[in-house]
Amino acid sequence: MRVSLCWLAEWIDLPAPASEIAERLTASGLEVEGVECLGPDLSGVRVGLVLEREKHPNADRLSLCRVDAGDGAAVDVVCGAPNVAAGQKIAFAPAGTKLPDGRVLERSKIRGVVSNGMICSARELGLGDEAGGILVLDSAATVGAALSEVIPSGDSVLEVAVPSNRGDCASILGVAREVHALFGGEIRIPPVAATAAAPPPLPRIAIEDPEGCNLYVGRIVEGVRIGPSPDWVVARLETAGLRSINNVVDVTNLVLLEFGQPLHAFDLSKLRGETITVRSAHEGEAIETLDGVTRKLAPEDLVIADADAAIAIAGVMGGAGSQVGEATTNVLVESAHFAPGRIRRTARRLGISSEASYRFERGVDPDGVARAADRAARLLEEIAGGCSVGGAIITQGAPREAVPPISLDPDRVNRLLGTSLAPSEVASLLARVGVASSRTPDGSLRCEIPSHRSDLRRYQDLVEEVVRIHGCDRVPTTLPLVRLAAVETPPLRVLADRSRDAFVAAGFFEAVCLSFLCSADLDRLDLAADDPRRRTVVLSNPISEEHACLRSTLVASLLRAARENLAHRVDRVRLFEVSRVFFDEGPAALPREPLRAAALVCRAERTNLWESSKPPPIYFEARGVAERVLRELGHVASLRPGSGEPFLHPGASAEIRLAGLRVGSVGEIHPEVARRFSIDRPCAIVDLDLETLAGRMAAPAQYREVSQQPPVRRDLALLVARRVAAGDLLEAISKAGGRDLVSVDLFDRYEGPGVPDDEVSLAFRLVFQRLERAFTDAEITKQVERIVSMLGHRFGAELRSAPGGGA
Amino acid sequence: MPEGAADLDRLEAEARAALAAARDVQALVEARARCLGRKGSISTLLRGLGALPPDERARAGEAVNAVRDRLEAFADARRTELEQESVSRDLERGRIDVTLPGVPSHAGRLHAVTRAERDICTFFASLGFSVEEGPEVELERYNFDALNIPDDHPARDSHDTFYVRPGVVLRTHTSPVQIRTMTGRTPPFRFIAPGRVYRHDASPRHSPMFSQVEGFLVDERATFADLKGVLYAFARHLLGPATRLRFRASFFPFTEPSAELDFGCVLCEGRGCATCSRTGWIEWGGCGMIHPKVLENCGIDPERWQGFAFGMGMERAAMMRHNVPQIRLLYEPDVRLLEQL
Ligand SMILES: [Zn+2]
Repeated sequence: MRVSLCWLAEWIDLPAPASEIAERLTASGLEVEGVECLGPDLSGVRVGLVLEREKHPNADRLSLCRVDAGDGAAVDVVCGAPNVAAGQKIAFAPAGTKLPDGRVLERSKIRGVVSNGMICSARELGLGDEAGGILVLDSAATVGAALSEVIPSGDSVLEVAVPSNRGDCASILGVAREVHALFGGEIRIPPVAATAAAPPPLPRIAIEDPEGCNLYVGRIVEGVRIGPSPDWVVARLETAGLRSINNVVDVTNLVLLEFGQPLHAFDLSKLRGETITVRSAHEGEAIETLDGVTRKLAPEDLVIADADAAIAIAGVMGGAGSQVGEATTNVLVESAHFAPGRIRRTARRLGISSEASYRFERGVDPDGVARAADRAARLLEEIAGGCSVGGAIITQGAPREAVPPISLDPDRVNRLLGTSLAPSEVASLLARVGVASSRTPDGSLRCEIPSHRSDLRRYQDLVEEVVRIHGCDRVPTTLPLVRLAAVETPPLRVLADRSRDAFVAAGFFEAVCLSFLCSADLDRLDLAADDPRRRTVVLSNPISEEHACLRSTLVASLLRAARENLAHRVDRVRLFEVSRVFFDEGPAALPREPLRAAALVCRAERTNLWESSKPPPIYFEARGVAERVLRELGHVASLRPGSGEPFLHPGASAEIRLAGLRVGSVGEIHPEVARRFSIDRPCAIVDLDLETLAGRMAAPAQYREVSQQPPVRRDLALLVARRVAAGDLLEAISKAGGRDLVSVDLFDRYEGPGVPDDEVSLAFRLVFQRLERAFTDAEITKQVERIVSMLGHRFGAELRSAPGGGA
Repeated sequence: MPEGAADLDRLEAEARAALAAARDVQALVEARARCLGRKGSISTLLRGLGALPPDERARAGEAVNAVRDRLEAFADARRTELEQESVSRDLERGRIDVTLPGVPSHAGRLHAVTRAERDICTFFASLGFSVEEGPEVELERYNFDALNIPDDHPARDSHDTFYVRPGVVLRTHTSPVQIRTMTGRTPPFRFIAPGRVYRHDASPRHSPMFSQVEGFLVDERATFADLKGVLYAFARHLLGPATRLRFRASFFPFTEPSAELDFGCVLCEGRGCATCSRTGWIEWGGCGMIHPKVLENCGIDPERWQGFAFGMGMERAAMMRHNVPQIRLLYEPDVRLLEQL
């Protein structure tokens, strides 16, 4: 709601400048989102006091003044106006000020004397044509104050955000009431038409849907001459952001802005029959509304109808058929009170938000219905040359529920707020918002709720009124007195945090991607039709096709992230994300939201510009990360070749298993999938199911005694067929070595000259150590021979040379 | 075997030359053994002194011992010299181009919002608030109705809701966690609920997904003043001890009284800048005393129990701290951004 301060000032005296009114309204709950200055922008111009005036040493017509502008030190200003004199309060623009004509004042030398600003004339400030001399201000003006606080430089418009329970504030009257509550002062209601006359006999008004409409007031104005509105009406509407249509329509809009009561004007000659009916729409009924659109109505919609058809959608929009036009002479003004919920549902279903529906939804003062009709009649007489015929035609629907008085215990106010307000203070704060109260014998206040405050239902609502008028800032600031309780965190959160830390320690950046997924990405990932990740949660109103559903995998987000980063020529992408993914569980349940962790690594062929060695395939980076993260979580995972993931390279991916359960996968992205995501280089991912991991929380690491005996090292170079997996060899060696074998590592892998074509040379380093005593050479040799023969037996491995090594 | 002084001089000169000729410590050790060792020339000479008459023997012995001492000292000095040379040679060999770029030590980093979330959780844990979570795909009933926002209430308009199907929405705030947590529990309790929320807003200044932290405390005497105290403590922990707050009365269907919470813009210290739209204040969230209807909806008697609740955007602090102009930048997985923040 845009509120012109000039307009508001006609309703109530404004005791403070616009900025302060805006601030106080905002603090008390009527947020002013902006103050628009319609006049010239005078920010920067201040009230100054001419301390001394003397003739300019080098120019007869100029004066040299010392001006106090309120910031401590007086400054020299050269002035050319004849009327400047010591002791005057003047409008001073210091150097740096932007004047309304766009000029920025600079500190300058005028005839050899430095001038630190300008003493302004009215014209220079855009406040009039008077250029002959400077503007002399009221001697009571405060030196240093902003000029806009001293002289009104034009109208300002407050952009007020009306809270959804305060429809009454969507009017000049409503804002005036708030100003009254904060600053005091009397509200002046503009004149209305005489109401004493008996209503005209026709038309009759019938309310067939009494729940939807509990009051309908009609007024007949005859002999109007349609034409443009007078300037003041047009200007008023414009400040509120409304366009002038013609004098009759403008009157209804003006009254809507004044009182917050939506009105509608029908061309009486276009109404058929003698009765206006308020009823529910018929099944299949349609109406062409004022905007030229034909709307299909539903039975829950409330309409105004004549003998033939609906002529308006009640409280939402009028119909084109009964619209006031050039030829209109006789008008029926409608002012009614419709059920807020009904109006809201209709407006929402039809996708219409009109000035009328906006107010009805938020609540309109039922006691103001007749007054608004009377006010409109009066204005039609004044500016459209009309003549009221009789008084108001008033028809009641279901009797309005009387707003019952609320009993408020002043102690409860303090108990809720933490304040110590006396009962009389509470009563006077409430009185300021129009709630009259009286003390009852039990000490509580019996509060009478005014008709325009249907939002006040419980005593807590009154407490809210008390605190907002008293001021939230004046409530003390204390800390609660509470009983201690142990703090708990969901275990899955702990796991999520630990895995985040593990990825960070492994050199990964955490990304947080939007939870949305483009469903085509599932095709790009080659997911099978029966893959559970196809069971996405689909949004019925997505932002775009790209965001059509919620993601069931983090992999697509990471691949998109890789693509974007590579497009930006980022050479090294190491990203991870720990987030929920979503699976549809059918119409009877909410989706499942398991937690997953995924990481992506992607880099240029060489990792360092001047380093010459080529890094191993990127799979091993991803695998290293997976192992490290799982180790940080206290798990030793086993990897099995082949992840089964359609989007991973079948020959460069593995399934991560933990105690026989699949907990994730690691692997290079399938080149075809990478191509679909425009990723032009090897890229690998880790994808972990934290939910399953959480079910297998690792026990804390256990102490093991550290041996003081020297470790014994043996290196084994073996020739094996290429199809033999190195992992299987490692596992077999480790198992065969038993407790004495403390570590086994693969330290070389070679294929090429000197090795048969289908074979590969693998070199393992075995380290033996035990707690009790050092090994003898013979003991170690025996162990190694046993292992070698086992490898030969099981894998066809052949020793390339005698085991080397040493302590 | 009588030896003249001249012979002794020659012997000393030869030994000196041999010691001086040693190019490394090993060669020196060998040269030293040759002249000063048990079978070396000096020892041989000393052993030969036995044949001299006693008076000569003493004199000659003195002379030879003097030579030996001088040679020992010379050998020691030479050794020190050679050792120093060896160190210098090693150092020379180890010389590298120190202006070559370092091998990058790639640290990772938590997302700025994750760090803010941890900071928030740690702070509230210190006040005894436990953490609760709720689903991001939520029943409309919990997201709205139970929070006293019935279907026909215009307050729903401001929520820009994503729908999954009738009755199921992406939660528009973390407040439904209040309902889930309070239902079936008996006060007193205090919880925070951090998490992601969604609003159907495609404008570039906003993000359809963002993070909130909900907090609530219910007991028999929690007041609006207590709410202010907790939020002041929180803001000063998060944004610095000089942080100013502004509580503006407001309307939310699920709290009463309600207030909007702003903090004083840190960038301009309240003077007004582009980030705070020249107001000096940054909107942070909403708060208030939990509405009695909400307590009733959770089976809690509002005549006996009362409490406060608040909900704040988690990105705000991170945006302030890092001077990020737009929230959506936080949710772009752009390495160049992630490395900065
Ligand atoms: Zn600022």
